[in-house]
Amino acid sequence: MKFSLARPALALAITLTLASCGGGGKATFPINVTVSGLQYPGLVLSTNGQDLTINPPATNPPATAGAVVTAVFPNPLEYGQTYEVTPKDATVANHTYLGGSQPKHQSCAPTLFPAYGTAGQLAKIDIRYACAILSYPLTGTVNGLKGTGLVLANGSTAGTIGVNPALDTNNTPTGAAVTFAMNPVPYNTTYGVTVLTQPTKPDQTCTVTGGANGTGGGTMDDAAENNKDQGVNNLVVTCQ
Amino acid sequence: MKSSILRAGVVALACALGLSACGGGSGDLYLAGAVVNVTADGLVLQNNGGDDTAVVAPYTSFQFGNRVSTDDQFNITVRKIPDNADSCVVNNGKARANYYTIGQISVTCTIKQHALTVNIVGLTTSGLVIINGADRHDVSAGTDPAGTQTVPMASVSEGAAYGVTVLQQPTGQTCTVKDSGNDKGTGIMGKTDTTVTISCAS
Repeated sequence: MKFSLARPALALAITLTLASCGGGGKATFPINVTVSGLQYPGLVLSTNGQDLTINPPATNPPATAGAVVTAVFPNPLEYGQTYEVTPKDATVANHTYLGGSQPKHQSCAPTLFPAYGTAGQLAKIDIRYACAILSYPLTGTVNGLKGTGLVLANGSTAGTIGVNPALDTNNTPTGAAVTFAMNPVPYNTTYGVTVLTQPTKPDQTCTVTGGANGTGGGTMDDAAENNKDQGVNNLVVTCQ
Repeated sequence: MKSSILRAGVVALACALGLSACGGGSGDLYLAGAVVNVTADGLVLQNNGGDDTAVVAPYTSFQFGNRVSTDDQFNITVRKIPDNADSCVVNNGKARANYYTIGQISVTCTIKQHALTVNIVGLTTSGLVIINGADRHDVSAGTDPAGTQTVPMASVSEGAAYGVTVLQQPTGQTCTVKDSGNDKGTGIMGKTDTTVTISCAS
């Protein structure tokens, strides 16, 4: 009789222990976000009906490139809930995100790890977004070019490009206008296009005009960014 | 009986020779990789002290002539570096060959840097901005009554272009980049430091 009492007591004790284990509250998964390279405001990330505004570090704009910002979505997920962290209102196609609430002058994307999954898949949800400064075209026209070998430069780090004259059906240079494109220039960066090598056969001297300062120089600023064609496209190289 | 022993021996020998030929450079794995920061001829790589391979234009990758077999030891070293490089380093250049290890090899060089200095003459006001492409420097008149000062620009890789221009003229003055003889605002960085002259006049 004594034993038969002890047995239900034991069972009760086990039940209580189990209850305290499983019933102590479901495991939740906060959605952590780490954003690198953010320099300008405007980035809003979105998942599971929640929005999270990510601001660059306080020292900006612009902050030092490469600074890291961390944030957490207000509501954690429960085990098994799926998530996909995208820029707010971005067009989502096959886990790539187009547009949406990007920061000014920048584009951010989850380039290192996928920004989607199921809560519980990983021990910790940590979404990584990396932001890069946008670059804009730097283009123009060469007039009167008949010789060969013209090379244009934009300083030391943006590369050089060669321009060939327009040819007629007999492969004779016509001197007609030809367009050229320098390498794109990042926002808020200066450009200064110069003639590195003058054309020969026939010898010609080419000079650069246009750009924001009229002599082939300027800054890829808001005006250039908001120009309807985006970028700077009024460079003129005149060869005589 | 005799002939069958002989035949077996010949076959075995042929096999052995065939296999050794395999190990000696006709395996099925190409030993190749990416090349970073090379802008000129002159980089020569070796594998296990031989099979010299020159890296040629467009200087983005290399591939050894001899192939290797799985589990062959490879050890890629730099035999010669380009004239305009300070040093070249092989990354993941020593391992036993397999599909993973042969995909991890790269060579990175450091190109020699030279100073680009701008000598400014006659600058007596403020507002001058000079650039070399993305490298911007705001310059105001210094203490020299003749308006002479030197502005160190960011250093430039040997063999790279430079093009110093006036982005913004100073108040009440016009500055021009000297463009004659060897003193030009635009050129290719040679083996020594370069100086560009800018003259300002009211």
